[in-house]
Amino acid sequence: MKKDVLAFAFLALLVAVLISGTKIQSVDEYYLTHLDDITPNSQTVTVSIRCDTVLQNWNQLDPALQSEKYVPANGVILPATKVVLRPKDTAFDILDRTVRAKKIQMEYQGADQNQFGSVYVKGIHYLYEFSCGPLSGWMYQVNGIYPNYGSSKYTLHPNDVMEWVYTCDLGRDVGNEWKEAG
Amino acid sequence: MFTMNPVLLGISLLGAVCFLAIISRAREFFSDLAFYLPMFLLITFTNPLFSHNGVTPLFFLNDQPVTFEAVCCGAAIAGMLTAVILWSKCFYKMTSSEQFLYLFGRLAPKLSLVLSMALRFVPLLKAQGKRIHRVQKTLGLYTSESRVDRIRGALRVFSALITWSLENALDTADSMKARGYGLKGRTSFSLFRFHSRDGILLVGIAAALCIVLAGVGRGAADFHYYPEISELRRDTCSVLSGLMFFVLAILPFGIESKENLQWTYLQSKI
Repeated sequence: MKKDVLAFAFLALLVAVLISGTKIQSVDEYYLTHLDDITPNSQTVTVSIRCDTVLQNWNQLDPALQSEKYVPANGVILPATKVVLRPKDTAFDILDRTVRAKKIQMEYQGADQNQFGSVYVKGIHYLYEFSCGPLSGWMYQVNGIYPNYGSSKYTLHPNDVMEWVYTCDLGRDVGNEWKEAG
Repeated sequence: MFTMNPVLLGISLLGAVCFLAIISRAREFFSDLAFYLPMFLLITFTNPLFSHNGVTPLFFLNDQPVTFEAVCCGAAIAGMLTAVILWSKCFYKMTSSEQFLYLFGRLAPKLSLVLSMALRFVPLLKAQGKRIHRVQKTLGLYTSESRVDRIRGALRVFSALITWSLENALDTADSMKARGYGLKGRTSFSLFRFHSRDGILLVGIAAALCIVLAGVGRGAADFHYYPEISELRRDTCSVLSGLMFFVLAILPFGIESKENLQWTYLQSKI
């Protein structure tokens, strides 16, 4: 009976792996993304990633992350970089391509795995949600305004300035008050 | 069970495996191992599918990294689970319901009674199920070739088992009532005496436990796997708590093997 349970568990694991698709890439292949060269008539957007709110809440930070290696001294993970905008690129597409080219770790949850139908960015540069207290996580703003919905649903326009900021207070410390509906 | 520290988990697992090996028969033990080893591997390699944190990616599966830290964390979780299950098995083999009732009978009589009856039921049902199955086989129940008939036969055995267990429960309740369980002033006879060697062992165990807890309180057992595996601590506090934990884990095996050796020695002198 025990052998049956084990065999069933292995089979279930195999089926889960196969259903989720098996695209295996080595580390080098994954990071081989090459950012398009900026030509005079290409459309660009500016991307930056920063986590300076963590520096003000250092004692709430997960002890495993309390080092210069994971939280840069100036709080800037990616300074403002111009990236070529391909047609129909969403905010998430630009982020994904940029962090792959710059070899920055990023983990996301696919659009089919949550109820909002859009990609959820779980962590950038090993800073995850709740790493700095229960109200912390990643948010993005475009041209100074927080769209407040998933990044794979926001289509960028040329010359937009997109910033990914880490908040330690549900957005209140980075300029986004979340108002209750109604 | 309360830490993710690989050293402590390894010591606990070692103690559980050694003790289980010495108190169960070889065939039982190896068949148990044949179940728990694949379970260990299964849990170890399922964790990286869900957790992608970690600085050393081995390869990328569907755009998510499978990292070395996730595999190690999976191994720690699997080790923790296996160690807990094996220790529970050892405890179950060692204690009889009589000992359980004796210990907790005064403190929480109803709870200890319910627990000891529940623990007794699983092997009882298994044995009775086997008995019914064997009798039905001799009566010719499983002779049909069709799948549906076989399933119907198994369902019949199952329903007979349930009916029997309900009747058995009623019988047990009646018998207990007839013997006066639950009446005030009912005493029971038990052959357990507290010898001086028990006292010495208890004091020793308590001392070792205090040292381990003090070490854990000072952070000797802290360990994290993400984003990178923390270094093993080598200061005296951690080493001492680790050593004391090793003593605690290997104590059952040590006592049992000492008794076995003494028995063999005394037998050889006959």
